[in-house]
Amino acid sequence: MTKPDKTVLKRMRALWDDAHDFDPKDPMFGLSAKEMSGPKLSRRATLRLLAASGALTAAHLVPGVSGMARAASHGGGGTLQCGWAGVAEIQTLDPAQIGQVLQFQIASNVLSGLMHIDAALVPQGDLAETWEVSEDGKTYTFKLREGVTFHNGDAFDADDVMYTFERSSDPDKSIHSKVLANVASLEKLNEFEVRFTLKAPQASFLTKTLERASGRAMTIVSRGAIESMGESNYGLAPVGTGPFKVTEHVLGQGVTLEKFADYYDPERPKLDKVVIRPVDGVEPIAAALEAGDIQYIGGNPIAAQLIDRFKANSDLVVDVQPGPGFQSVWMNPWRDPMKVTDFNKPIEELKKEKGFMVRLALAKALDRAAYVKQAHFGYAVPGYGTINPAMAFYYDEGIAETSEQAFDPEGARALLAEAGFPGGEGFPELDLITTPAQKRNGLVVANIYKTVLGIKVNVTPKEFSVGIEDFNNMEFDMRLGGSGGDYDPDDGVVDWMKTSSKFNGRTRDMDKYPTGYFSSTEADALIDQQSVTANLDQRKALVQQANQITSDKVACGFLYHPVDVQVRHKSVNFPAESRIPGLHDFDRVTLG
Amino acid sequence: MLRRLIGSVLVMWAVATLVFFMLRLVPGDPIGAILADAGGPEEIANMRRKLGLDQSVFIQYVKWFGNMLQGDLGRSIYGSRIPVTQILVEAIPRTLSLALLAFLIAVIIAVPAGIISATRRNSVTDNAVSLLAFLGLSMPDFWLAILLIIVFAANLQWLPAIGYVPLADGFWPWLSHLILPAIAIGTAFSAIIARMIRSSLLEVLKADYMRTARAKGLTTPMIMLGHALPNAMIPVITVIGIAFALLISGAVVVENVFAIKGLGRVLIQGILNRDYPVVQGAVLVVSAIFVFSNLIVDLLYGVIDPRIRLN
Repeated sequence: MTKPDKTVLKRMRALWDDAHDFDPKDPMFGLSAKEMSGPKLSRRATLRLLAASGALTAAHLVPGVSGMARAASHGGGGTLQCGWAGVAEIQTLDPAQIGQVLQFQIASNVLSGLMHIDAALVPQGDLAETWEVSEDGKTYTFKLREGVTFHNGDAFDADDVMYTFERSSDPDKSIHSKVLANVASLEKLNEFEVRFTLKAPQASFLTKTLERASGRAMTIVSRGAIESMGESNYGLAPVGTGPFKVTEHVLGQGVTLEKFADYYDPERPKLDKVVIRPVDGVEPIAAALEAGDIQYIGGNPIAAQLIDRFKANSDLVVDVQPGPGFQSVWMNPWRDPMKVTDFNKPIEELKKEKGFMVRLALAKALDRAAYVKQAHFGYAVPGYGTINPAMAFYYDEGIAETSEQAFDPEGARALLAEAGFPGGEGFPELDLITTPAQKRNGLVVANIYKTVLGIKVNVTPKEFSVGIEDFNNMEFDMRLGGSGGDYDPDDGVVDWMKTSSKFNGRTRDMDKYPTGYFSSTEADALIDQQSVTANLDQRKALVQQANQITSDKVACGFLYHPVDVQVRHKSVNFPAESRIPGLHDFDRVTLG
Repeated sequence: MLRRLIGSVLVMWAVATLVFFMLRLVPGDPIGAILADAGGPEEIANMRRKLGLDQSVFIQYVKWFGNMLQGDLGRSIYGSRIPVTQILVEAIPRTLSLALLAFLIAVIIAVPAGIISATRRNSVTDNAVSLLAFLGLSMPDFWLAILLIIVFAANLQWLPAIGYVPLADGFWPWLSHLILPAIAIGTAFSAIIARMIRSSLLEVLKADYMRTARAKGLTTPMIMLGHALPNAMIPVITVIGIAFALLISGAVVVENVFAIKGLGRVLIQGILNRDYPVVQGAVLVVSAIFVFSNLIVDLLYGVIDPRIRLN
């Protein structure tokens, strides 16, 4: 990883501390309406907002990612050849249908939003020129950028914002309609002014809901283009107001982006063309990069076994940053021998139940350090909860020691023996579902269980569509899986750890498995409370308490948090200001 | 001939129908994969209704079959819901290009190797050719593909490692992207065909009419090309016909390694994603290819050997 410079680190730490060092009593997170309004947020305001939304990450502490970093001074032009890893085709670029990070990584270069975060995760006005926030934090008024045109020549104005909102709010047209659930209304004030009224203050409104890439719900689309092209063709080659236009998209072969000459910023983009080819294979994409067929890798995370090989190649640049997300070993609490049908008991009482003893033994036996080394070649962080290191403020650095799941081979063996399986004797063989790509990781887990507990776990690779169905129906023994792109505590605890979480056995038989894979009324209450708590320290405490409960009560065996790795040829000048974790914005990239 | 064509259509219908129902019997739900991070039970139910997957399988079949008869193969249920016909029309030229080139490479290697091996039976050359043939058969195509990429793309940098360029963009860009995958696929087939030619030729060379030909004073090349090869080609043509159909439908692994979205990759990707309309459309095309390859092989029998007539 990049080693931080001490002076810069000190300065960034001061900014970091300031962002969290307040105790607001109002829904404005300690900021005035003026401070919340734009054309530009002050660094202090931005950091506080990001901290409040949970989007302030450890990346801020790593020099080279800061928005203060200078842009590359190289000239423009040229074609950048990219390989999109681990994917056979880019199924869609229509924000209303985008369900994968690797898709909005491309769409972010083609379509604009009202806002777009920069490398420091600061929300910058994209199509919004200025904005004002009401004192109660519930009304956002945006002055839109004038003179902006879509790639097809249509002019952009407030009607396009209204149309996008209308389209995204319709669940038949967009899979992201729920993102706008907190928006009470959107009004067109005039040709270049719109006003959002929220049902409740939302600190993440600018950074998440209105964000052009990951937000997707308010990524501005062209009504004229959709009507003339049809939804399908629009999904292949969307017309937007972004720095690049899609000139060709052959499903399965790749996407060609060309410079949009009328982009609102005449300084961008620098490149003439970007060619993106999906490559679904570890060795082929490595060979293509080494052969010079491609100069940049985007898409799914790069296979860990390639990272050291790329680092050893002096022609390549490898940059590793904290990544948001978590991966776990899920254990079905409705199946023996790890059956626990009621988690609403004090932990000491739970520890007397055989099913819980087994769950805890399985969690304690996870030698995460060995797993990270063997499965990810050291490129991951041991995990004990849904809250990841990228959510730095909310991340509990002590959880590795305080969690009941902390690695303890002796304790794990003792628990298993107490549950009636001394040395793993008589323990039934369990199936661990993985995707085919994760099979190796599953084997590492199985080997750890064999070594530590003497039990046999059969790794069962299943295609994602099959594995996810089993998981949704609660028809599994164990499953390796988790989440990515989690910047806010809500992404972890709300989406995964509540009884009503969207991933908690979403198509399960409610009579057979009434509470899904985990249910704790205490955790539910804490999670609900943190979602509406403006006070950052209080929210942090609530998040960490909920995280601790889910970890201690073994909602799953938490395993690791991923890292974000960027690999490019040294001729590709990727300015630090464009290095947004998880994204690949090419508008400032040059070839030198 | 008409009866044969009707039979072929019935075979295609049976295959497509079987696949339709089997696909829905196997585990796997596309909706969870489509929605990924974007919804709960309500959204899943909504999406299922939108795609018509909430209806009974029989109603789904009747609808699909009715639309198929009108030339509408439906739309992919993923992403932007691209029409299946468009996906297939884009994939077929890539697969045909790859299959034809692989076929050409296989024949160019196999025919001389088979003849040399047969005419110099048990010689060092025959053993060497046999050894190479066994090597070709034993090497998994994906392994050979990766080896070719490492040597010719990554190290020597003579040829591109991945991708496909349409012929319309230039002959050399098209060819250069196909050489490595074609070699990877063609090698195994050349080994099969070479072995087939060898054994078939050995049979023919023992025949009385070969002795007669020699007695007439014909040269060895004249005997080989005029008498031996045509008679030895009947079983070889059968194998080539099946091999060609397999090349078109089954080059999945190599297509994946070289990031070429051909018919095989469309089919496998569709199966993995449970993208029902895509799988059904691709299966129809693949079964058509098999049926018509066999038909062409049967017709070729008559051309090669006038004694064989189709009724």
